[in-house]
Amino acid sequence: MPLRNLPIRRKLMIMLLVTSGAVLAVTCAAFIGYQYAAYRAAARHTVQTLGDVIASNSTAAVAFDNAPDETDVLAALQAERRIVAAAAYDASGALFAHYPADAPASAFPPHPKHDGLRFDAGMLLYYRPIRQGDNTRLGTLYLRWDLAALHHQITVYALIAAGLTAVAMLLAWLLGRSLQEQISIPVQTLGRAALAVSEKRDYTVRAPKLGNDELGTLTDAFNHMLDQLTADIAERKASGVRLQRQLSRLDLLHRITRAVGERQDLRSIFQVVIRHLEEQVPIDFGCICLYEPDEEVLTVTSVGAQSRETALELALTEKARVPVDSNGLSRCVRGELVYEPDIVSSPFPFPGTLAKGGLRALVIAPLRAESRVFGILVAARREPDSFSSGDCEFLRQLSEHVALAAHQAQLYDALQRAYEDLRQSQESVVQQERLRALGQMASGVAHDINNAISPIALYTESLLEREPGLSDRARAYLTTIQTAIHDVARTVSRMRGFYRPQEVQAPVARLDLDRVIRGVLELTQARWRDLPQERGAVIELNTDLANPPAVIMGAENEIRDALTNLIFNAADAMPDGGTLTLRTKRLVRQPRGGSQSTTEEPPAEMVSLEVSDTGAGMSEEIRRRCLEPFFTTKGERGTGMGLAMVYGMAQRHGAQIEIDSAPGQGTTVRLLFPAAPVATDETVRQLALGLPVRPLRILIVDDDPLIIESLRETLRGDGHRVTAAEGGQAGIDAFEAARAAGEPFELVITDLGMPYIDGRRVAAAVKAAAPNTPVVLLTGWGQRLTAENQVPPHVDRVLNKPPKMRELRAALAELARAG
Amino acid sequence: MGLLRSRARAVAAAALIAAGLLLAARPALAEPTAQQVEAVFLFYFSQFVDWPASAFADERSPIVIGVLGDDPFGGALDQAVAGERVNGRPVVVRRLRSIAAAADCHILYISSSEAPQLQQILSALKGHNVLTVSDLERFAQSGGMIRFVLIDQHVRLIVNARAARAAGLKLSSKLLRAAAPARPGEG
Repeated sequence: MPLRNLPIRRKLMIMLLVTSGAVLAVTCAAFIGYQYAAYRAAARHTVQTLGDVIASNSTAAVAFDNAPDETDVLAALQAERRIVAAAAYDASGALFAHYPADAPASAFPPHPKHDGLRFDAGMLLYYRPIRQGDNTRLGTLYLRWDLAALHHQITVYALIAAGLTAVAMLLAWLLGRSLQEQISIPVQTLGRAALAVSEKRDYTVRAPKLGNDELGTLTDAFNHMLDQLTADIAERKASGVRLQRQLSRLDLLHRITRAVGERQDLRSIFQVVIRHLEEQVPIDFGCICLYEPDEEVLTVTSVGAQSRETALELALTEKARVPVDSNGLSRCVRGELVYEPDIVSSPFPFPGTLAKGGLRALVIAPLRAESRVFGILVAARREPDSFSSGDCEFLRQLSEHVALAAHQAQLYDALQRAYEDLRQSQESVVQQERLRALGQMASGVAHDINNAISPIALYTESLLEREPGLSDRARAYLTTIQTAIHDVARTVSRMRGFYRPQEVQAPVARLDLDRVIRGVLELTQARWRDLPQERGAVIELNTDLANPPAVIMGAENEIRDALTNLIFNAADAMPDGGTLTLRTKRLVRQPRGGSQSTTEEPPAEMVSLEVSDTGAGMSEEIRRRCLEPFFTTKGERGTGMGLAMVYGMAQRHGAQIEIDSAPGQGTTVRLLFPAAPVATDETVRQLALGLPVRPLRILIVDDDPLIIESLRETLRGDGHRVTAAEGGQAGIDAFEAARAAGEPFELVITDLGMPYIDGRRVAAAVKAAAPNTPVVLLTGWGQRLTAENQVPPHVDRVLNKPPKMRELRAALAELARAG
Repeated sequence: MGLLRSRARAVAAAALIAAGLLLAARPALAEPTAQQVEAVFLFYFSQFVDWPASAFADERSPIVIGVLGDDPFGGALDQAVAGERVNGRPVVVRRLRSIAAAADCHILYISSSEAPQLQQILSALKGHNVLTVSDLERFAQSGGMIRFVLIDQHVRLIVNARAARAAGLKLSSKLLRAAAPARPGEG
């Protein structure tokens, strides 16, 4: 295993042992080396010294050839055991004497070598000259020093060193074992901490600090690093969470926007927004209020399902009105997003109200379209300070989306209404145009029929009044003819209701409602009794009429038409049978708080006319719209004009309409007429009076000779002087001629519709010539007078064809008197 | 005899080298004679004897070896001292005919031919710093200082240290050790 992979403990131990071993080894080696060198130096020195001494002592012996003496000198060397051999050579280099003396000569070099010290094969060899003073060399001395002692000593030293090293390393090992813990334990601790961090990803682990050394610093740094790591991780997690929340908010915004986009009405948009807010954000309380800038008031429009209880508690239910206070709300309706982290001590009424419901944090976002705040979105939580800036931003963006959607919904609604109005206008125009065409046609027909029957009516009446010799049979026939003519005229007159909804104001007269009701019931019984009976349904009739009979001021034909319509509707509402009730009552009623009426108006006497059925009834929606023209629930069978006509009649008669209805509960339509003033005798008398007091000069202008003839005959019968002119121009000429002749006409009766010069121009001409001459206009019904909606100028009276003698006489009497 | 031989050979070799000749080219050297050995010894005495300073004219003055009487050495003595210097002084050999010149020598070899006048010679030298050497019998006892004596084919020395001291000479103790002391009856 390479050293770098060993555990630190063993590394430390090895380092310790190697270091101490190396130190010891170097020390010992140095010591031994020094010893060795010192020994060698000492040896050299000793050998040289000995050599000097011996050489000095040998001079004479060598010089004078005294070998025994020299042998003695050399023998002195035995005192130094390490000199194992010595020899003296004479000047010629021959061996002269040696030590030890008993050694063979062959044990010595035969001749001396170069002077000097040299080591050779474990020996120190020394050759030096033998010389007396500085004089001529006498010979050579040879010494041999045995270095075995040195080697032995070195060996001993080496052994000692080895033993010492071993002991030292053992000691080092023992010491190292305890000392290394100072390093290895902190390192292991640090290592375990690092391992725990990396394996378990537990960043809360901290390495304990065991000292203030480098390892302590490292531990601190490690812990600090972990701190930073923890902080980094926490921050990254937090930002991840933020991002996630942002994404989920975006998603929520998207979902809300989609949900909102699928809806078209404000209420449903608001509901879906609040519901999403309550469920997804979530919030504890949410509502949307619409702002009414004129009144400085907010109306609660939508409250979340979960907020309903709180809303109830706080009196903030739907349709509740909240005045805009000076703080949050006013800022909000100016377009600011208002965030109150804690409203518990808010001095302002609206946050204060919410605080009473246990709500603490409040966000109010304006709903703004086209830079106008039209409402606010309120979101609140029970936790104080619980809306983050992200929440606020989300609500702000949401409110913009919602505002946009709401605005679009409003626009859409307005567009729908405009479209509906347009459609209705179009239908109405088409209908009116159709009716007008029909009316024109009908009026032409009516005109012709009336013209046709006018002579019959006049003659019949005339015969019955004036002809004295009539047999009973003739009188009976004439009476039948008169009734038939009358019926024809009535039939033609009924056509008017359909093509002439805004007829010339009919003459107002006192009407006995009992009489009118009975007439109408009789006339319509085919519809309410006979038709249902064919299907097997029975409609009971129940009349509850006031006694004495109620009397109102009104136009009989209009009242009759209205009543007819109401009875038809009642019959239609009871396809399976039921009870039809007609009721009249007199009652005194306080004036209703209408905007037009003055509060000081005294209580009025009223007459109530009720038509009730027990049929299907109407929904609120239908009830609201039923008076609109062309609104019908009868499909192709209805024109949608019936109740509209009733309404028009009521308006013209100053009457009120009340409709009580609910689905399945039947319908009651109540007409409240002002009661008629008490009739005076004068009126009755005048009405009864019919005959003019004096004969008149009368001009009749008509293009129909039969009518001229019948009228002339009838009026002459009443004693008048009658002149007839056939056509407008002829009439004007005749009038001028009579004036020129000094016998002007006292009254002019002219037909309205004539070729070239019609009745209006005749009347104009008459009045231009003689403004005081009364003009009576005779019309075939449904003539163009409807367009002018009034009595034409220059005409004093309009009479319908076929003219009745009674009406004609009354008009003549009245006009003659006035004239 | 080794010494003598070696010395003799050394002398020969030195001469030959000085002459620029190879030793090997020479005929084989004969065993040195006693005379040759004595000639070398005469030269060596100059190394083991201290003369008083007054014995020399100056520091450069040579050590003079005189041969009184017949010269037994032939050229050996000349060869032995040729080119040598002892304690900085050259060594010269003089052959003396008369005793008068003997006092100027530092070492005086009294040839056996002078035996008759020995006493005369020794007396004449009294008071002079001259080392007297001779082969003569009983020389040391007769007042001479060093006598050569041949023992077992080796030239040996008999030294009369007292005489030398009397002549103002200091003999090296080493010389005394190497020499046999002058015993009565033997000198």
